[in-house]
Amino acid sequence: MKSGYKKVKRMTVTGRTIHWINAFSILAAVITGLYIAHPYYQTFIADPAVDKYVMAWNRWVHFICAIILDVTSIVIAYLYFFSRFEKPYKKLIPTGKNIKEFVEVLLNLLTLNRRKNFDSSHNDSFNIVYFTIMHLLLAWMLLTGLQLYVHGLESGLSSIGNWWPAMLHLVTDWTIPVTGGTLMDVRISHHYTMWWIVAWVMFHIYYQVWRTIYWQEGDMAIVFGGSKFKKEE
Amino acid sequence: MTDKREAVKKLFTAKSSRVETNKGDVYYQRLYAQCKKRIEALKTLEPFGNKLELQDLLSEEGVDRRDFMKWVSATTAMLMLPSFFEPLVAEAAEVMNRVPVIWIELQDCAGNSEAFIRSDGPKVDEIILEIISLEFQETLMAAAGHQAEAQLHDAVETFKGKYLLFVEGSIPTAMNGFYGTIGPSGETFEEHLTRLSKDAAAIVAVGSCATFGGVPAAAPNPTGAKGVMDIVKGKPIINIPACPANPANMVGVILHYVLTGQIPELDSLLRPKFAFGYRIHDNCERRAHFDAGEFVEEWGDEGAKNNFCLYKMGCKGPMTFNNCSIVRYNEGVNWPIGVGRGCIGCSEPDFWDKYAYERPMADANIKAPTGGVEKTVDEFGLGVLTATAVGIGIHAAASALAGKKSDEGEK
Repeated sequence: MKSGYKKVKRMTVTGRTIHWINAFSILAAVITGLYIAHPYYQTFIADPAVDKYVMAWNRWVHFICAIILDVTSIVIAYLYFFSRFEKPYKKLIPTGKNIKEFVEVLLNLLTLNRRKNFDSSHNDSFNIVYFTIMHLLLAWMLLTGLQLYVHGLESGLSSIGNWWPAMLHLVTDWTIPVTGGTLMDVRISHHYTMWWIVAWVMFHIYYQVWRTIYWQEGDMAIVFGGSKFKKEE
Repeated sequence: MTDKREAVKKLFTAKSSRVETNKGDVYYQRLYAQCKKRIEALKTLEPFGNKLELQDLLSEEGVDRRDFMKWVSATTAMLMLPSFFEPLVAEAAEVMNRVPVIWIELQDCAGNSEAFIRSDGPKVDEIILEIISLEFQETLMAAAGHQAEAQLHDAVETFKGKYLLFVEGSIPTAMNGFYGTIGPSGETFEEHLTRLSKDAAAIVAVGSCATFGGVPAAAPNPTGAKGVMDIVKGKPIINIPACPANPANMVGVILHYVLTGQIPELDSLLRPKFAFGYRIHDNCERRAHFDAGEFVEEWGDEGAKNNFCLYKMGCKGPMTFNNCSIVRYNEGVNWPIGVGRGCIGCSEPDFWDKYAYERPMADANIKAPTGGVEKTVDEFGLGVLTATAVGIGIHAAASALAGKKSDEGEK
């Protein structure tokens, strides 16, 4: 460690694990999702249809990633309120202090780091709001995706019991009227939201790299080692 | 333990669109007794208008008893009844002319009437639709003008509260409904429907126009077309969508009503579950090619010659609920996917605007959720990405030019 810096722990092992599971699941879900929406490569393998399952594999990967994302989403939702490390919800409440911090972090970005009136060693309300948007987008993908999925179990049966499709209907059927009245609307919304998530990821990566370069506090290290560094006063 | 599980199951299955194919012996024994009683009661009634006997008609048309029994067992299965109901279903078919049916036609192409009267050789479904006591049907009846008006009036008065009202076609509501009027009094379709549905036992909306507005309701919907369920309130309504509705499903609904005196179990869009509880995708003969990633890329290509999946030609089978992949059309002769073109989702709401484009979603011109401009979702998505990338680029360039200074003195 360079002298004059102190180490600040920012992410627990759990947090980092969830982050990377999410990252790779989203990547895989986007790739396979694009195939499912429009099968862009054709199978010219001369095997009979029963032996290759190209679409089936794409769907399998898509669903497995989705289920993993669903589980991490539930864990994150829990940690928002009950984490023993940092409770993100505290930064979400629109108190005067949080709003001021949000504006200051935004101004720091917009003034190209000419103005920095906040404590950058801990998670700020701008970042928390930004992450919350991501998790809301993921929750929406979860609900619309499961709605599209449950109709494959129309008999009401599934390998894990009847409760599963029944619960999915109960929890996700409302997405049909909300998106416009047909299953096609749910599908369009699911596909459309993917682009927002991709745009979100793009800015997220940029912003973390930018912070690392301009703040010079090693922000990029948070997601690998769990800590960043802060200049001692 | 089992009780608990049943309780949880009951809680979660309350309003789902689950298709219950086996409701247990107790249920079916009770239903059987109830149906038996109802058919006995119907048998004592004189046939209403139509005195034709089904057996005579069948043999006249060259359908023997064996063919009829084959139809009976297929129909029993379609209605999701156990096989011991077969004799009852056969009896019900024979007393179908004891239930009066009034069929009205509104804003449509008569395709649903055509669906059951046009085929090269009459099939059991079609013969049965001839034997039902059809009291009024504009397309089929001989009467015209005031005579027809009188016949309708008589039918409504005679069978008050007992008739099934079949409605074909959508209801125009724009311009006070004057896009469609009927009879010398200039009654609008909406008034006509409201008047006749008041005394009906139940209303059966046949075809996509009558159920969800169909093609007349497609954007920009100049006539303000609506489906029956948006107009009629406080009456049991059964929707049999599709363009045209499958005669097998029409017969199924009437037969279910004759048999039980009740309307069949419906899904959230009021479609009978026995017919619309399943996605056609899951019973499609080309499904294996979907899973294998074998698609028709172009009309008439190698894939098309080998009956590959039509998903890339815009088939909407994965989102369409109907039994056409099981019962098909014209007594199982064929159906759209069988002839090599994709499903256009004709039994779904708004099918003309949202399903009928013949491309996969990624290639299709769908109205962006922002409305107005025609844009594909992916083009819009790429726009969002480009905008983000441009924003990032500008910010990055500006940051690089401005250097790494931070003014921490303000703290």
